[in-house]
Amino acid sequence: MFKNINQRVSVVLLIIACVYLFLSYQIPPYAYTEVEADVVPKTLGWLLVLLSVFLFFSKDTETNEQKARRSISGSEIGVLIAVFGFILVYILFLEKVGFMIMTALFIFFCSWFLGYKKYFTNMTVSIVFSISMYFMFVKLLRISLPQGILPF
Amino acid sequence: MGSIDGIVTGFQTAFSMEGILFVMIGVLVGTFIGMLPGLGPISAIAVMIPVTFGMDPTSALIMMAGVYYGAVFGGSTSSILLNAPGISGTVATAFDGYPMAQQGKAGKALAIAAIASFTGGTVSVIMLMLLAPALSSIAVSFGPPAYFALMVLGLTAISSLSEGSTIKALISAVVGFMVVTIGIDAQTGTQRFTFGNPNLLEGLDFLVIALGLFALAEVCTLVLNRKDTSVKNAHKIGSIKLSKKDLHEMKGPITRQSLLGFILGVLPGAGATIASFIAYISEKRLSKNPEEFGKGSIKGLAAPETANNAATSGAFVPLLSLGIPGSGTTAVLLGAFLVLGVQPGPLLMTDRPEIFWGIIASMYIGNIFLLILNLPLIPYIAKILKIPRPLLISLVIMFSMIGVYAISFNTFDLYMLLLFGVIGFLMRLFSFPAPPFILAFILGGMLEQSFRQSLTISNGSLSIFITNPISLMLLLLALLSFIIPLLRQLWLRKARKTN
Repeated sequence: MFKNINQRVSVVLLIIACVYLFLSYQIPPYAYTEVEADVVPKTLGWLLVLLSVFLFFSKDTETNEQKARRSISGSEIGVLIAVFGFILVYILFLEKVGFMIMTALFIFFCSWFLGYKKYFTNMTVSIVFSISMYFMFVKLLRISLPQGILPF
Repeated sequence: MGSIDGIVTGFQTAFSMEGILFVMIGVLVGTFIGMLPGLGPISAIAVMIPVTFGMDPTSALIMMAGVYYGAVFGGSTSSILLNAPGISGTVATAFDGYPMAQQGKAGKALAIAAIASFTGGTVSVIMLMLLAPALSSIAVSFGPPAYFALMVLGLTAISSLSEGSTIKALISAVVGFMVVTIGIDAQTGTQRFTFGNPNLLEGLDFLVIALGLFALAEVCTLVLNRKDTSVKNAHKIGSIKLSKKDLHEMKGPITRQSLLGFILGVLPGAGATIASFIAYISEKRLSKNPEEFGKGSIKGLAAPETANNAATSGAFVPLLSLGIPGSGTTAVLLGAFLVLGVQPGPLLMTDRPEIFWGIIASMYIGNIFLLILNLPLIPYIAKILKIPRPLLISLVIMFSMIGVYAISFNTFDLYMLLLFGVIGFLMRLFSFPAPPFILAFILGGMLEQSFRQSLTISNGSLSIFITNPISLMLLLLALLSFIIPLLRQLWLRKARKTN
């Protein structure tokens, strides 16, 4: 059904545009204004519809370079998902466990997972980085970061 | 305050101990980040924004400006030594810089790049000093219709930020504009696209978008290329001495490209990348020995290096005097201004002369400092290229996380950051350029506001944009600058073919 990747992408964009337009038409009117709050969103929504249609019929074909950018092996996708998983865990526990511990753990395990085998350097960097960042923000810039379970 | 007083205040600010210190920090950080392949000035600026919280806005902005031009300066090092440009503005640098390094003349190439960058940057700052105040005093009288037209002009930059497909660049911009409509509408107080989520009432912070689309998306690319061994093959730097003949050969391109680069930097959408390509092509045309280009020609190296730095300072003209960014990078820089509570634009020169002139004056010091960094100290600085990739990836992720958390103290924004990281990566995979997204995100809010203010003035009639002479002229200019890049793309294609 779809001849090239641009056509598939344009269908996804069209769906996004339709959802956005649907929501735009739900924006309630306001009595005392010349231009309603929904004018710009509606324009944008229709513009995206138009552009997705253009993209669908455009004759642009992918260059080899662009194709190469898209060909990622399954194991590499796994690595990317794992890195995003690490980030997700970091966010989930950041406020409960605290900035210093989570940051040190993240740097150590993420670097180790990505193939950095010098444990001692890795450990030093992760501990020094998280402690120095914490004190720079909390003491120097007076921006509080989650203290968590540590007493300071 | 008169403008002479303003200039004096600016120079006093820039040449104070604090001013000099922050310029130095800025250009040093910029050089480091710009040098790392993959990480460009946008990530550099976005990562540094949290550090400026709580700082005096003048020092903070002097530092941020330093990060920007420092990153452009630093990008040339990895182009020359690794043939892996740190930023797109230094792609053309590698055409002749890398062959020189292969011939064992890396030191010489770095010296030429440093001198060319320094001259381009400095000449451009002088012109910035002359042009920005003039433009400010004209723009002071602009009303909402003229501002609307001006921003449309800024948005036409999009057509030149595309990587081949103008449609994709426009789609990227429209989606960026859509994202900025999330939150409470400033004029009517109506909630738009908030889904009843209190975290969305104030809309998404631009740091979430900038760090997600650029820093995190770059992290994904770094993860995929983490086994890249090009760093191990970096060429030895060797002597950085230049002969009189070398200097003589550089003179022509440097003089011409300082001017041309500056002009291209001022125009919306042109910027460092295009300036460097045009510089390369035009010098090749002018040269008596065009066959030397691509094989280690001094002229071929000096031209793009002069132009990209000249364009970088040139881009400060519309940013400081009109408050309009012409590129993705200056859009993020504008965001940095707004985070610090400073609104760049025609009033900046009279209301906050210490910031307006302070930034400009600090660029003289910044350029001198960059010259020192990039000549005698370059062998030591280039060691940063040896940071192991896995460690670099973890650190960039952490910097992005801290940056977003420090502005909102809310993990919701961190999830959004992650989401935009995924979006940014998908955009890369499908060749949708990200700079139009961030440009539309920054300009979108202002554009909508001035559009609706104009229509309120005219009781809803669109004719106000045509009857107002300034607005009409700017809209016509916007139309022109939308068409010209299409022609320019043809030029670029030609340049790529010849290399």
